[in-house]
Amino acid sequence: MASNDQTRAHADSQQALLTIENLSVSYGHVNALKHANLQVFKGEIVVLIGANGAGKTTLLETALGINTPLSGAIRFKGKPIGGAAVDRNVRAGICLVPEGRGVFASMSVLDNLLLGAHNNMKNVGKHLQRVYEWFPILEKRQDQIARTLSGGERQMLAIGRALMSSPELIMVDEPSIGLAPIVVNDIFNILRMLNQEGYTILLSEQNANKALKCAHRGYVLETGTVTLSGTAAQLLDDPGVREAYLGA
Amino acid sequence: MEVFIAQVINGISLGSIYVLLVTGFNLLLLVAMIIHFAYPQVVVFSMYIIWLVLEVTGNNLILGALAGVTSSILLNLISAPLFQKVMEKRGEVDINSTMVMSMGIGMIITDVLSHGFNKGHPIAFPDTLAGGEAILRVGLISILPGQVSAFVVGVIAVSGFFLLLYKTRPGRAFRAIAEDPNGARLVGIPLLKTGLQSYALSGLLGGLIALLLAALIGSASSGLGEQVALKVIAVSIIAGLGNLVGGLVVGLSLGILEAIVQGYISGTWSNAIAFVIMLLVILAKPTGLFGLKL
Ligand SMILES: Nc1ncnc2c1ncn2[C@@H]1O[C@H](COP(=O)(O)OP(=O)(O)O)[C@@H](O)[C@H]1O
Ligand SMILES: [Mg+2]
Repeated sequence: MASNDQTRAHADSQQALLTIENLSVSYGHVNALKHANLQVFKGEIVVLIGANGAGKTTLLETALGINTPLSGAIRFKGKPIGGAAVDRNVRAGICLVPEGRGVFASMSVLDNLLLGAHNNMKNVGKHLQRVYEWFPILEKRQDQIARTLSGGERQMLAIGRALMSSPELIMVDEPSIGLAPIVVNDIFNILRMLNQEGYTILLSEQNANKALKCAHRGYVLETGTVTLSGTAAQLLDDPGVREAYLGA
Repeated sequence: MEVFIAQVINGISLGSIYVLLVTGFNLLLLVAMIIHFAYPQVVVFSMYIIWLVLEVTGNNLILGALAGVTSSILLNLISAPLFQKVMEKRGEVDINSTMVMSMGIGMIITDVLSHGFNKGHPIAFPDTLAGGEAILRVGLISILPGQVSAFVVGVIAVSGFFLLLYKTRPGRAFRAIAEDPNGARLVGIPLLKTGLQSYALSGLLGGLIALLLAALIGSASSGLGEQVALKVIAVSIIAGLGNLVGGLVVGLSLGILEAIVQGYISGTWSNAIAFVIMLLVILAKPTGLFGLKL
């Protein structure tokens, strides 16, 4: 990634798009996040690496507004949003492509896309047109029931649905899960393309190799705490990361 | 042949009432996640309100209709906070607590109707709404204006509801929550607000049903709600709980079946025959003809 250092230098000079500070979240007695810290700057792809149960989904969903933080702060464009309702955050420009896609299987492709625009129906036709330009397959299948799509197509639909909310920050929870390696490459190419189009991306992954190759920076999450962070190149070179997450 | 046509028209009127009842019930089940057994009691309460307003205003149909629809929406919205605790927990339908809550509401309504209105006697709707001169008469069968308007309004209400469900933004949100509440939350659909919309919409349907019932059967008693409730539960289960399209097909079929039985066999046996057939169906397909959608 030749552009990494450039983007980073650019990013440093401005306010973070998403800031997560000392964030703790629990489900009853389970402390899923413990004083987690993370920042995402405009224009970046940031990857959150962590094993199963590390707290990746919890972090993304809390930023979206699903969980109320126990303590700590979440800011989007400088404004505190911790504990704000999901629909408000979506309107503000945050969205999530859920783990396992979260596509509505009984509904048509078009309906799924329109659901993404539920909180932002202005210019819905224009947004739909753009999504169809990026994913022509979705236009071809627009009247089909989502159940009939392949895994990769469902992931595209989930990403397209997220785009329908006209977001600034797209959070993608383990996009590669359950997909064939070739399809995973496609999905990461799509994320890279969207990043070049101006979208900021925060994604989570267990298998970090491909994700780190397309990201600018990364954080390693272990049992609810960020234990390591750095540029993608640094993390790819880190012996601990290589052993735990790259299968090396 | 005329008898057959007349009874099919009657059957479609009756059937669209069943469809609307099942639809209102299923909407609350799917979107608000409550089992509202007493939904038919809400409808009968609105019938009483319509009757009262007609009495007071000298049979002003428009005011009566407005009062019916308003009372039903209000009653539904007022009961929403009672179910609220369950609504906030979400995720799955808490059958036990909503059922008890709903039965309580039903009992209160039945009691209020049997003590507070018309000295507890059944009420009869004026000819302006229910009857007048028969439009068509074939032997013992006659078609009254009320039956025709019930047919027209019923068909419009059912098609309107399904258009709303499949072609509009709130309808899309309803279907999304019905399929996967947590997934709906993740795309930013507000569960509480959309849940309240479903209370309001099922209230609106309830008001229309009250009008249709008044026009079609011309009378009501405090016990009518419980009778209707039994049939609504039966139709919902036969169709598959939460299955809206199933409710449409089964509700219409049951209405037509009952009307045909009334026309050719006997009015007094139509209920028994309907329940026997439903019993056979449920024995053969315990999850309903069209499958559970929960
Ligand atoms: N709804 C929940 N109720 C209770 N515990 C949960 C819930 N969701 C997640 N957890 C727990 O929180 C921790 C973090 O989970 P999660 O955020 O899903 O991790 P990841 O996405 O990295 O696999 C795990 O120990 C998990 O068991
Ligand atoms: Mg996860």
